[in-house]
Amino acid sequence: MLTSELIRPRLRIQGSILRVEMVNEQDPALQQIAQDLICLFQRHQGQSQAAWEEAVRAYEGANVDYVFIRGLAKVLMDAATFKPLTTPLPPATLREQVFAYGPVFEQPDIFHTATRQEVLREVAETLELSAGELDEILFADRGASYRLTDAGPTWTPSTLLARYNLELARGALYWASHITIGVASNYKDLWKYIKLFKLMFWAEPGQNGGYRIDLDGPISPFVSSTLRYGRQLAAFLPALLLCERWHMQAYVHPPQAPGGTLYRLDHTCSLRSHFKSSGMFDSRLEEDFASEFEQKMGEKRGHWRMIRESEVLLLGDTVMIPDFALVDDVDETRKILIELVGFWHPTYLRRKVEKVRAANCAHLLLLVYQGLNVTEEAFEGSASEVIFFQNKPVLKEVMETVEAMANRIYGPRPKRRRKKKTKSLE
Amino acid sequence: MSTYVAFHGGTLVLRDVAEEERPPRPFRFVKGRWRCEAYHYGSILPYLQEEAIHNGVPRWKPLNLVMQDTREAHDYQLEALAAWDKAGRRGSIVLPTGAGKTFVALQAILRVNRSTVVIVPTIDLLHQWYARLMNAFACEVGFYYGSEKKIFSQGESGAFQIIPLTVTTYHSAGDLIAEHGNAFKLLICDEVHHLPAKTWGEAALMAPAPFRLGLTATYPEEQEQTGERWRLDELIGPIVYTQQLESLVGKQLAEYRTQRVRVDLTTEERVSYESLHKSYLGFVRERGLQRTHGAGWLRELMRLSTVDPIARRALLARRQLLNLLESCQGKFAALEVLLREHAGERILVFTESNAVAYAIARQYLVPVISHETGVVERKRILDAFQAGHYRVVVTSKVLNEGIDVPEAKVAIILGGGASKREYLQRLGRILRKKEPLQAVLIEVLVRNTIEEGKVQRRQVPREKR
Repeated sequence: MLTSELIRPRLRIQGSILRVEMVNEQDPALQQIAQDLICLFQRHQGQSQAAWEEAVRAYEGANVDYVFIRGLAKVLMDAATFKPLTTPLPPATLREQVFAYGPVFEQPDIFHTATRQEVLREVAETLELSAGELDEILFADRGASYRLTDAGPTWTPSTLLARYNLELARGALYWASHITIGVASNYKDLWKYIKLFKLMFWAEPGQNGGYRIDLDGPISPFVSSTLRYGRQLAAFLPALLLCERWHMQAYVHPPQAPGGTLYRLDHTCSLRSHFKSSGMFDSRLEEDFASEFEQKMGEKRGHWRMIRESEVLLLGDTVMIPDFALVDDVDETRKILIELVGFWHPTYLRRKVEKVRAANCAHLLLLVYQGLNVTEEAFEGSASEVIFFQNKPVLKEVMETVEAMANRIYGPRPKRRRKKKTKSLE
Repeated sequence: MSTYVAFHGGTLVLRDVAEEERPPRPFRFVKGRWRCEAYHYGSILPYLQEEAIHNGVPRWKPLNLVMQDTREAHDYQLEALAAWDKAGRRGSIVLPTGAGKTFVALQAILRVNRSTVVIVPTIDLLHQWYARLMNAFACEVGFYYGSEKKIFSQGESGAFQIIPLTVTTYHSAGDLIAEHGNAFKLLICDEVHHLPAKTWGEAALMAPAPFRLGLTATYPEEQEQTGERWRLDELIGPIVYTQQLESLVGKQLAEYRTQRVRVDLTTEERVSYESLHKSYLGFVRERGLQRTHGAGWLRELMRLSTVDPIARRALLARRQLLNLLESCQGKFAALEVLLREHAGERILVFTESNAVAYAIARQYLVPVISHETGVVERKRILDAFQAGHYRVVVTSKVLNEGIDVPEAKVAIILGGGASKREYLQRLGRILRKKEPLQAVLIEVLVRNTIEEGKVQRRQVPREKR
């Protein structure tokens, strides 16, 4: 991520609204600069970090756009790998041996009989190095002398500028105390990253479907507008971009406006995430179950439609996102949730069972692998249905249970095909 | 399910305690649970016991340290410790500079004998505490700051555990405490007067440690605490002991003299200097930046440099001018003469920039301490310097606050850029001495440049302290 001095000059404040001055990714002049830096970086393969930084300074010259140029350079560096040179002994040990002779001078005197070159040669000999080699690795552990070993992904001017814009948006959140988001899809990735960055959330069903989520940290309720979690919120932002429809409102306190500003973003912005969206399925088991369903029950062969991870069960400070929802074609309020409990680690399983009990959800059907060391008693007291299976869930049995559950919970299925009908059920 | 209290990111959270049950203040019902700041831990213990709430907070351990430092405590140090004990091991001890606050803290750690975290304002002090703790207890000491974090050690069982004696800075403490606050039973805040500042108190707020010790020479006045987010008394406890022994100060300070060495720029250097000076200060004066922006004029110049090419050139000229002054030939020649002249003595060389410090280290083959130098190497360098294994140590701005290098007798400052505070601190460095030897502070300045002006403005009085 960019350092705050590369962000600050690009923040614009109008009243209480914060804007981030992003760059036009199509601007030929900026594309040229991006291209120059990408080439420059490639050419520094194998060279030291100090040499690269020096080259960026030289490229900058007296350009007033230096904040932009340094920003691009930082993006390139962050995605690359710099490694220390290998040394026969740790560099600190080398220094101890060499510095034991200091100070040395070009012209020896009675107190300093050896010259610099003689000292280096003497110590180098014991290590089977030349004086020059020793000189080169004396500070090999300083970041400045690390060598560029891997220049990272293949950048194009457009991808580099796009990534720079994303980093600017993230940077604005360094000074954020909390953010509020509204989303209607891709919950699983969202929760994964909220947990990964150790943020606290509070979710409520939104007005137009989806959820409204407040994000901050544990101490936030007690320290008004703490900036403690700004970095985590910034790190999290790309996860939000994985969603299809979303909007975000961040409460930001930049140094220029400590009183506080609002920074808004939504899915119409052109930012793209570099986080990977997790695959459709978490396991083979899920994938097989879904494809068997499509084969046998899909299209018009049955009246149930399968939707992936569309529902969030809010359980206080955690959530459960069942793998599938089956929705009745005739009446969309007739909905059965299905969670596959496959080959899991015992601790994970225990948490899962706790969640199921906490959810106390009557329209949840659990398909549990029998090989797991879990018995029916584990689920006692929970409102959910459980089916155990041996190799894979038997679709016929599952669908029978689904029908039975639907009948029990929602009453008999309305016979007629859908029309604007009076709802027979509450 | 049984009720339970857990440590979570600097807060205490009650699990399975319903909203209707209304636990006492300071608990608040937030986001579906009863929560409070972790520093209330000590005061809610009775409630936890009464309600038989399972306490999942403490992760601290016995230390079983053996004191290697054979120095005996002064009477006032023992009094201070007794007062702190009596106050329930909470509160601040106020002692003047040089009265052995660290020693008091070491004794406090010994008494509590449980996992301890020490929070200090600067990285220099962190290094100093690290060395003191290592020397006093001959045990592993953890450290957690900026780029260097080592707080885990591998136990006999092979599992990684938090090192139960750890030093951190106020800047980094928040992250450490949010994650591992419940691993420490005693919280020591050095220079505790910093605590009311905006973010610096967060760590103390988020730590459940029931035992707390604040150390300072200058406890903030009531009015200095208002308007800030929190009050010291609340986070650390009251002042338990104050001693203003004037006689303590000065005793440990040696005689010193200052000396200025003036060098000239070469003809070539002079030409570049004049042109850079014109570009830089010419712009600042022409725009009247100092008049319009006061102390913030440099920030304004930086802002302008992103939009105005002339401002940008002025800023570049400033950087080149400072580089030129710092690495001009005359200074290096003078340094070499001084290093030869004081051949028999321990010398500290101060530079303005890292680049010059490393250049000197490379050229003369002497150890360098910069902000990049790790805790372990830094201690080794200073120990070797004390022992006489190294004669010269070069350092960039870092060795600025209260580090003891009692063997240093000569300090050479390359460049007049130091502020009054830094200058005094550097003086203090060579003045804290064991024997009444005369110390010398030598400043190398470039004649007829902005460096001389800075020295004039500084006007350090020659009194001690």
